[in-house]
Amino acid sequence: MEFFIQILIAAVVMGTPLLFATLGGVISERAGVINLGMEGLMLVGALVAFVVMLNTENYFYAVAAAALASGLVSIIHGVVCLMLRASQIASGLALTFFGTGLSGLFGDKLTGETVEPLSRIPIPGLHAIPVLGPVLFNHDVLVYFSYICVGLSWWLLYKTRLGLNIRSMGEAPEVCDSLGLSVMGYRFFALIVGGMLVGIGGAYFPLALTPFWVDGITGGRGWIAVALVIFAFWDPVKALGGAYLFGLALALELRLQVLGIEMSPYFLKMLPFVLTILVLTLVTIRNNRRGIQVMPAALGKVFFRGEKH
Amino acid sequence: MLSAALLLVLLISWFFFLAVGIEPFAAYKIIGEEIFLTKYGWQDLLVKMTPLMFTGLAVALAAQMRQWNIGAEGQFHMGTFAMTWVALNFDGQLPGGMLIVLMFIMAMIGGGLWGSVPGYLKARFGVNEIITSLLLNYVAAAWIDHLLFGPWRDPVSNNFPITREFSPEAQLPNFGNTSIHAGLIIAFIFVAIIAWVLWKTQLGFKIRLTGDNPDAARYAGVNIRILTILVFAASGAIAGLAGFSEVAGIHYRLQQDISIGYGYTGIIVAWLARNHPLGVIFSAFFMSIIFVSAEVLQIEYGLPISMVYLYQGIILFTALGTDIFTEYRLRIKRFWPKAGDN
Repeated sequence: MEFFIQILIAAVVMGTPLLFATLGGVISERAGVINLGMEGLMLVGALVAFVVMLNTENYFYAVAAAALASGLVSIIHGVVCLMLRASQIASGLALTFFGTGLSGLFGDKLTGETVEPLSRIPIPGLHAIPVLGPVLFNHDVLVYFSYICVGLSWWLLYKTRLGLNIRSMGEAPEVCDSLGLSVMGYRFFALIVGGMLVGIGGAYFPLALTPFWVDGITGGRGWIAVALVIFAFWDPVKALGGAYLFGLALALELRLQVLGIEMSPYFLKMLPFVLTILVLTLVTIRNNRRGIQVMPAALGKVFFRGEKH
Repeated sequence: MLSAALLLVLLISWFFFLAVGIEPFAAYKIIGEEIFLTKYGWQDLLVKMTPLMFTGLAVALAAQMRQWNIGAEGQFHMGTFAMTWVALNFDGQLPGGMLIVLMFIMAMIGGGLWGSVPGYLKARFGVNEIITSLLLNYVAAAWIDHLLFGPWRDPVSNNFPITREFSPEAQLPNFGNTSIHAGLIIAFIFVAIIAWVLWKTQLGFKIRLTGDNPDAARYAGVNIRILTILVFAASGAIAGLAGFSEVAGIHYRLQQDISIGYGYTGIIVAWLARNHPLGVIFSAFFMSIIFVSAEVLQIEYGLPISMVYLYQGIILFTALGTDIFTEYRLRIKRFWPKAGDN
C-alpha cells in the first residue's frame, strides 16, 4: 500500500510538466493554432527558469521569467504562421529546432550547476485525508498552481465570452471574422497564453524534477504533450487525467526496479513513448468508429481575411 | 532561396557572434579559411553532405505525397542497427563483397520497417503521422543505447558503449586518400532514382497526384492506403541508408552520437529543396556548410555544436516566412484611393 501511494505521488509529480504543456496546447489548439513547437518552448522555459533561479534564487521570478520567455518565443510562431500564413506544422517544427538550439547553446556552460528544488508544502487539513491527501495535497507550489490552471482554463474556455470566442476561432474563423471579431488577435492571444503555460511546464524540470542542468532536460516530454492534447479531446479537465496517466508511466519507469522486475533501463525509457503511440492509435480508432469529430474544425487551417473558404 | 538563406545566416551570425563576444569578421575569416581553403574543409563538406542527402531525400519523398516523415532520425538509427547485426554476425561467412551488400539491404529493411509503422497507422487508422513518426525516434535511440550498453558492447572497449570494429569487408571504400567515401555516390544514385520514379513512372505520378488532390487520386483508382505505407517504407529505407553510409563509411562500428541530428536536419533540407530530389543536392550542401562551420566554431571558440539547431530553426522560420512573397506580389498603393483609381 505504501509503495502504491509512493507511485501515485510520483505520477502526479511526473505528470505536472505534462499537464502544464497539455493545457497550453489545448488553449492554442482550441483557437485553431497547432503548436508542434512545445518541446522547444519547454526547453526555453526550462533554461530561462534555471538561469533566473541561479541568479536570483527566487522561484516566483524563475517561473514568471520562463512564462514570459516562452510567450515571447511563441510570438515568432504566430508571426510566421498567422501573419505570414506559413504552414503551422513546419513553423512549429522550426520552433522546436529554435528552442532546442537556444537551450543547448546557452545551457552548455551551465551543465553541472545545481539549484535548490522546490520544497513540499502540505495543505493544512487536506493532506491528512488517507491516500488522496499525500497523493494530491502534499506537493510543491507549482503542482497546486497546475490544479488552479486546470480550473482557470476550463472556466476561461467554457464560462467566459473570451473563451467562447477563442473556441469559435478554432471552429469557424470566417464566421467570427464576419461578426467583426479579430481572428488574428484571438489566435495570437491563445497562442501566447498557451505558450506561457508550456514554458511553465518546462520550468518545472529544473525547479523540481531535476534540480541541475542537463542538455535536452525535457527529454521529449513536449512531444508526449502534443499527443496528450489529442488524447484529452482538447479539454482542460481531461488533460488532467491524461497527464497523470502518463505521469504514472514515467513514475513506473523509475520504480519498476524496486518491485524486483528485471528490465533493461533502456526498455523502460521506451515505455512512455510506446504508450503514447498506443493510446493515440486507440483514441483515433475510437473516434473513427463513433464517427465523432472532436478536433477543432479549423485546426491548422490558414485564415486570411477576404479570401474565399 | 538558398542564397537568401545564406545571406540571412551571415547576418544573424553577426549579431550572434557579438552576443557571445566573438569578433564577427575574425570568425567569418576562420570559418571561410577552414572550410574552403583547406583540403580537409572540402572533404568534410562532402562527408557531412552525404547523410543529409539521404535524410533530406527521405523527407522529401514523403512530402511529395503531403505526408510528414519526422522520423528520419529513428529510421537512421534502425538502419544502423540492422546493418550492424549483419556486420557482427556474418563476418567472414560470406563470399567477398557480399557482406557489404547484405548490410546495405538490411539497413534499408531496418529503416523501411521502422518507417512503415507510422505509415501503417496513418493508412489504416488515420493516426497523426507527425506525432507517431517523431515519438519512434526516442524509441529507436533507446534501443541503440540498450545494445551499446548491453549485448553489443565490445568486451575490450574499456566499457565504452561501442561495438567492435567491423572487418575491412564491411567497410565502404574511400576516394583515394580522402575521408570521402562511396556513400556519396550511393546518395547521388538514389537522388536520380527517386527523381526518375517521381516524374517518369506511374507510381510516381500516383504519389504526386495523391499529394496534390487525394480525392482525385481516389476516384482515379489509386489505393491510397497501400501507397501511404509504401511511401513511408521507402522513405524510411532511404533514411536507413544514411545510417548505413555513416557507419560503413566513417565509423566502421556502431557507437553513440553517430547521427548529430542528421534525421531532423533532413526536414530542413527537404523544405529548402521544395521537396524536389535534385534540389536536395544543393540544400544538403548548404546545410553541410552550417554543420562544418559549427564544428570550426566549436574547435576555435568552444561553442557547443547544438547551435546548429538554433540556426536550423532560424533558417526554417525565414524560409517559411518569406514564402508569402513568392505567392503574392507587394503593391504599394495610396491608402485613401483618389477618384479615378480603381
